[in-house]
Amino acid sequence: MKDYFIKEKVDPIISGLCRDIKPITILLITKQGTVISEAGDTKSINTTAMAALTAGMFSATREVAKMVGEQQFSILLQQGEKRHIHISLVTEDAMMIIVFEDYRRIGMVRVEAKKAGTRLIDIAMAEKAKDTDAAFAAHHPSTSTNTNENQDARNKDGKISTPEFKEYALNLIDQIFVTKT
Amino acid sequence: MPYISYDKKEISFKIVYYGPGMSGKTTNLMYIHNSLAENLRGELVSLDTEEERTLFFDFFPLELGQIAGYDVKFNLYTIPGQIYYEASRKLMLEGADGVVFVADSNPLRFDRNITSYEMMLDNLASYHIDAEQFPIVLQYNKRDFPDAIERGSLEKVLEIQVPSLEAVATSGEGVMETIRTISKMIIEGFEL
Ligand SMILES: Nc1nc2c(ncn2[C@@H]2O[C@H](COP(=O)(O)OP(=O)(O)OP(=O)(O)O)[C@@H](O)[C@H]2O)c(=O)[nH]1
Ligand SMILES: [Mg+2]
Repeated sequence: MKDYFIKEKVDPIISGLCRDIKPITILLITKQGTVISEAGDTKSINTTAMAALTAGMFSATREVAKMVGEQQFSILLQQGEKRHIHISLVTEDAMMIIVFEDYRRIGMVRVEAKKAGTRLIDIAMAEKAKDTDAAFAAHHPSTSTNTNENQDARNKDGKISTPEFKEYALNLIDQIFVTKT
Repeated sequence: MPYISYDKKEISFKIVYYGPGMSGKTTNLMYIHNSLAENLRGELVSLDTEEERTLFFDFFPLELGQIAGYDVKFNLYTIPGQIYYEASRKLMLEGADGVVFVADSNPLRFDRNITSYEMMLDNLASYHIDAEQFPIVLQYNKRDFPDAIERGSLEKVLEIQVPSLEAVATSGEGVMETIRTISKMIIEGFEL
């Protein structure tokens, strides 16, 4: 899966949301359970594990939803003694986790999460469109009038050659997975 | 398909340990976790029952290292082997880049291995994965059983050809070889 949530565009939205609703922590994660962006207190919470567990929880809920004839429950709310968790589906591939304390803020959390979600969708859609354009241009060189600048830059500095990548990776695998004697 | 972020410079692969209940999937994962240097591994999360049977999954992330500026990670998962957790089991295969099938060499469990493998093929098919083109390693675990099933016997019945290894997960024998084999298969098949 490719990540369409460009960090430099997504981070300001997440930190902006954090300023607005003053939660404990906000995480934007993928369906696979990787963290895309985070804000607030990320030290006292194991965000990696939290992302993996929430992703699992969400996929389980999706199956439960199907059983009762729903496609998906778009929001999950976990209410605790002191802390509460609001989880919302942003796109098919991403979800936002908000950990907060004052339950009276739930209305605000819900509204602001929704607003931020819409902006995140816009970012992902825009990136996806760029990608489609670039793929089209690559397959139709003669018609590529507006090669995307961003895409160019990304290819230039971000590119690794596959054979080289494999060689390094295989090497690391040999180094790391050794039986202790 | 691995998760690639050009932007965060991160590539992560998902490896799933599949197999019938009690075959030793969690034991494999725990052994790997214990063997790795602390800076390479994240916390091991286990969602299990009081009897230590996996309820949903075990998970831990590991850092392979930096390659050409990219953080390369492996996320390791186990599935719950018990029959009635079929729904959660299937979920864990979503987005998998490779599978280690941990078979139980106890002869009494022969049929369970077969059923579980067939379920796995069904699960993979439901995600439109062609098992013949997909990295799968077959681990014959519990080789310490006195009358352990013959290596190769499962492939015969299932009519499959996959790399196989022998292991005793409780002592760690064969465990690192297994993860090494599946990781390499995944990397070999990876196209940037
Ligand atoms: N003798 C022997 N016992 C093993 C071996 N590997 C695992 N076990 C034991 O088998 C039991 C089950 O191991 P687990 O790793 O929890 O099995 P699992 O596959 O995760 O089981 P589920 O979570 O229910 O699917 C434990 O008591 C292990 O100690 C082995 O190689 N030899
Ligand atoms: Mg287990």
